[in-house]
Amino acid sequence: MAVRTRAYEADAAAVAALDTRLVGIGTWLALAADIFFFAAWWFAFFYLRALNNNQAWKAQGVAPPSRGYGAVVVVLALATAVAYFVGSRPAAGAFLFRLLTPVALVFGLATCLFQGYELWHLGFGLTEGGYPSVFAGLSTAWVIQFGLATAWLASIVTQAGPAGDTVARRQPASFFAWILLFLAAIGIVNYILLYLVA
Amino acid sequence: MVVPERVSERRLSIPNNAITGILFAIPGYFAGVWLGTLFGLNDDQNTGVILGYIFATVAFLAGVGFLNYPFERLFGWRVSPLTDPDENRGVGRFFRLSLDHKVIGLQYLVTILIMLLFGGIGAMMIRTSLLVPDSSITPSGNYISLIGLHSVMMIFITSAVIVGPFGNYLVPLMIGARRMAFPRLEALSFWVVPPAAVILAAATFWGGFPTGWTGYPPLSEQASQAMDSYIVGFALIAVALVTSAINMLATIIGLRAPGMTWTRLPMFVWGIFTTSILGLLAAPVLAAALFMLTLDRTTQTSFFLASNGGSNYLWENLFWFFGHPEVYIFILPAFGIIMEIVPHFARKPLWGYRTGVVGLFGVMLLSFFVWQHHLFVSGIAPVLRPFYMLSTELISIPTGIIFLVTLGTLWRARVWFTVPMLFCMGFLFNFLIGGVSGVYLSDVPTDVTLHGSYFSMAHFHYTIMGGEIFALMAAAYYWLPKMTGKMLSPTIGRIHFWWMFIAFNSTFFPLFIVGLLNMPRRVSSYDPALVGLNRWVTISAYFLFGSMVLFAANLIYSWFFVARPALANPWHARSLEWQVPTPVPARNFERVPLVVAGPYDYGIPNARPVADLGGVVGATGGG
Amino acid sequence: MGVFRIEEADRPHLLRLLIIWVVLSIVGILAALQIHYPPYDQSVQGLDQSRTLALLTVLATPVFIGVVIMVLYSAIYFRRTTTELVDGPPMLGNTPVQIAWIAISAVLVLFLAVFGIVTLASSNVAQAVGTPGRSIGQSGGQTGSGTIGGTGPELQVQVVAQQWYFTYRYADYGGVETTHLYLPVDRPVELHVTSLDIIHSFWAYQLGVKADANPGVDNIFHVTAQKTGSFQVRCAELCGLWHGHMADSEGQVVSQSEFDTWIAQQQKDYEVISKAVPSYAPFYFPEPLLKAG
Ligand SMILES: [Cu+2]
Ligand SMILES: [Cu+2]
Repeated sequence: MAVRTRAYEADAAAVAALDTRLVGIGTWLALAADIFFFAAWWFAFFYLRALNNNQAWKAQGVAPPSRGYGAVVVVLALATAVAYFVGSRPAAGAFLFRLLTPVALVFGLATCLFQGYELWHLGFGLTEGGYPSVFAGLSTAWVIQFGLATAWLASIVTQAGPAGDTVARRQPASFFAWILLFLAAIGIVNYILLYLVA
Repeated sequence: MVVPERVSERRLSIPNNAITGILFAIPGYFAGVWLGTLFGLNDDQNTGVILGYIFATVAFLAGVGFLNYPFERLFGWRVSPLTDPDENRGVGRFFRLSLDHKVIGLQYLVTILIMLLFGGIGAMMIRTSLLVPDSSITPSGNYISLIGLHSVMMIFITSAVIVGPFGNYLVPLMIGARRMAFPRLEALSFWVVPPAAVILAAATFWGGFPTGWTGYPPLSEQASQAMDSYIVGFALIAVALVTSAINMLATIIGLRAPGMTWTRLPMFVWGIFTTSILGLLAAPVLAAALFMLTLDRTTQTSFFLASNGGSNYLWENLFWFFGHPEVYIFILPAFGIIMEIVPHFARKPLWGYRTGVVGLFGVMLLSFFVWQHHLFVSGIAPVLRPFYMLSTELISIPTGIIFLVTLGTLWRARVWFTVPMLFCMGFLFNFLIGGVSGVYLSDVPTDVTLHGSYFSMAHFHYTIMGGEIFALMAAAYYWLPKMTGKMLSPTIGRIHFWWMFIAFNSTFFPLFIVGLLNMPRRVSSYDPALVGLNRWVTISAYFLFGSMVLFAANLIYSWFFVARPALANPWHARSLEWQVPTPVPARNFERVPLVVAGPYDYGIPNARPVADLGGVVGATGGG
Repeated sequence: MGVFRIEEADRPHLLRLLIIWVVLSIVGILAALQIHYPPYDQSVQGLDQSRTLALLTVLATPVFIGVVIMVLYSAIYFRRTTTELVDGPPMLGNTPVQIAWIAISAVLVLFLAVFGIVTLASSNVAQAVGTPGRSIGQSGGQTGSGTIGGTGPELQVQVVAQQWYFTYRYADYGGVETTHLYLPVDRPVELHVTSLDIIHSFWAYQLGVKADANPGVDNIFHVTAQKTGSFQVRCAELCGLWHGHMADSEGQVVSQSEFDTWIAQQQKDYEVISKAVPSYAPFYFPEPLLKAG
């Protein structure tokens, strides 16, 4: 309310504040939707695992991929999110922002590459049961989203001018940090399910 | 603000419009097919067809102009501002990416009415086939393809038919906003619908898909490449549902005019609000399920194949977790329309405003906890059936509230019997039958005999066509004078109502009996003893189609051939959307209005007008 | 009661409505009781369903009539008679009435739910909708193991669905597979419904049986036929090209002695085939399905 009554339309600062508020609302809504998306996969995981139809949750010889490798992917994702989160806080200076966003981008690209490599070299066939299906599907769904987020991150880096950016330094940029943190958190849950619980 | 020097002034400059989109889509399709054939793990063409559809859609959206913004960002160029609505004039704006919610509303309206024509023709073909009890008019295979096309097309339509045209057009006007929160998302929620419809129609080239709208595997995994149309089309509708939901919710939460408190919000806006919450949370689950189905069909995973460690129950659970809220996505805006329109013509305040809102939220919340009522005989978790029976029947309580609020508003009113009011009353009658028959289906013992029969088919046509479409008609006669600037003829409107009302009931009521008498849904051959009833239904269905043609004629005639513009407020209604001029100015309100009273304060002594349109000094209202 | 203060202006309307409602409801309920509800009485379970349908209709009639006469009454008595617009009385709501409406609908709904749950739990209908009795799989038919065949009082019959016909295997008779379903009268039957390919639904209309046939699932359904005669079998779940033709009208409920003769004949006729079909199991996994053909 305070935002909406502060200034008349011509006031760019008020409009920007309003936009920030809207982006904030929109971000939380999008995350709520995305939780339901991933919850569907987690449901599939537990459901198929509990049913174990035809004793084929994991067909003979199917073992989860290397835990260490999976952990690398998750840690990279987390590093992406944390680096961007730290850099995009309003309190962080322009220098920190310009330093950390490209770092985050590098981590993000590495996450996608590592995850993609793992998906190409699974060590089991996709026909070999429920577990391979869920592993491939959930990892792919996650890495697609993470990849899109990385592309957005790249656009923030390219938009960031030498003076520290006009577009990205606004509040919406720090809302984007929540999206990255969210995806990293999803990655951790997926890791626990797909590698540890299996 | 200083523009950093590194940011270049370059822009992407292709003429972005629907034709460019189509020109992009065609090579996009072939690129996708080529790529899919290159990398597809199967020698069938599913990977190629799915990638083809996806590429074609993305290319279409790029041609329309959706990728300009992300690419401009990515290349470090200066990003285009949101289009200034003032520049957006002429007929051409309907074929371009417009960020004006009024243009999007009309784009939606016309698109959906065209889709409705095809869905309706499908229905007529189905009914024609059922004139005879064997499959002699339509061969069995063609018949189930028709069922699939009709059902999925209608689901696409009904998901968006109120939120799309009326929600987009009216919500900002009703809450005193000058734009939507996320115009690009809003436009996206429209521009994925035409590709979805075209991709769905493309299923006919592959011989149609055999699964109806439920898409149950393993049948949907046996099916031909036509199934890919179902998957991609439905996924695009899921995108439309989520994007539209985010936009609507953020708009309603963040862009209400000063003084537009939650208790002054019009009921239609509440209907959109609750339905958006459903779309936001249910559609992602559908998206996940469709992704699993895609993987099963293209990469040979086995999410849904019992012999390989999957389960078709997984699909049934995920699908109906989406599917049940989906039917309330249809009906909640309709509830909103009824509770919105009735007070204006009863000339009375809405009777029990807060209770009505609670009713909408009750329906919304409960609808997440009932999905297994579609699976009572499936063999899934029999011990849970009492719970789902109870939760399903509990929905009657908030639904009953909607009736109570409406009837209370009509009580001792001075009802002005306009065409919208007639349709509201028709809604009450039809939806009552739809709701009561729903209780029959929610009871496990009776569901055993009714499930999968024409009884359930009649039930959901009563709720969707008798409910949602009647509410749509009420909305059309009520709000089109604002949206198109022309009054629909009330005389034709009255004929239309009575024609449609009688034909509708004459079509669908006998189907309850047909269902009770042993006729399953989705069959082209049936017990010859039922041929009389079926012929009656088919003839009635032709009349029902005729009534829709009459509506189309009324709409086209009034829109394009009537010269006299509609009054700005032909119904003398209080609510905010009627206080702006017709046609609505590009930026809706000259100044952000200050809302000072509720929209339904009829008959209240010294009630103030709903808003001070002189504007609030110091309000942004979305710039 | 002080809470429900009835305004003077409401009184004539309420009185009129009450009289119309009571009269029409009585007429309606009497009419509803005249209807002969499917699936009639060939089985105990069918009769239960038929009675539940009658009960629901009896309960729905006054509700339906109440709302319809309210709508019609408003349309007739509360329509504007003047040419110019007049506002109605500014009634904003009435909390006691709202609470009463919600309470009444809650009572109705809870009654229906409790009634449904009780019927479900009571032996007959509990069996009709598939709570396991003597089962070979887990209830709800997930994978499972258990005794096959046996000597309980219930006749165990497996319904095997595939595109586009049903066959039946009698566990107590060496798993013999037949093309029509014969059931002895007055003997509880345990149907085990499963599928070899995709989802079907076994619908024996007159018996009040409907159970989905899922691949890899043993869906259990109990039925006790109480009248001899034929019944129809149809598939009630869309299953592809010939779904509409997946029907058989030669199901029979026969006396126990006729049944014994018939099953002996079947065992003889199908002796050769019986050796070829896989041995009786809760469900079967034929060679992998062709995906996306
Ligand atoms: Cu439902
Ligand atoms: Cu079938």
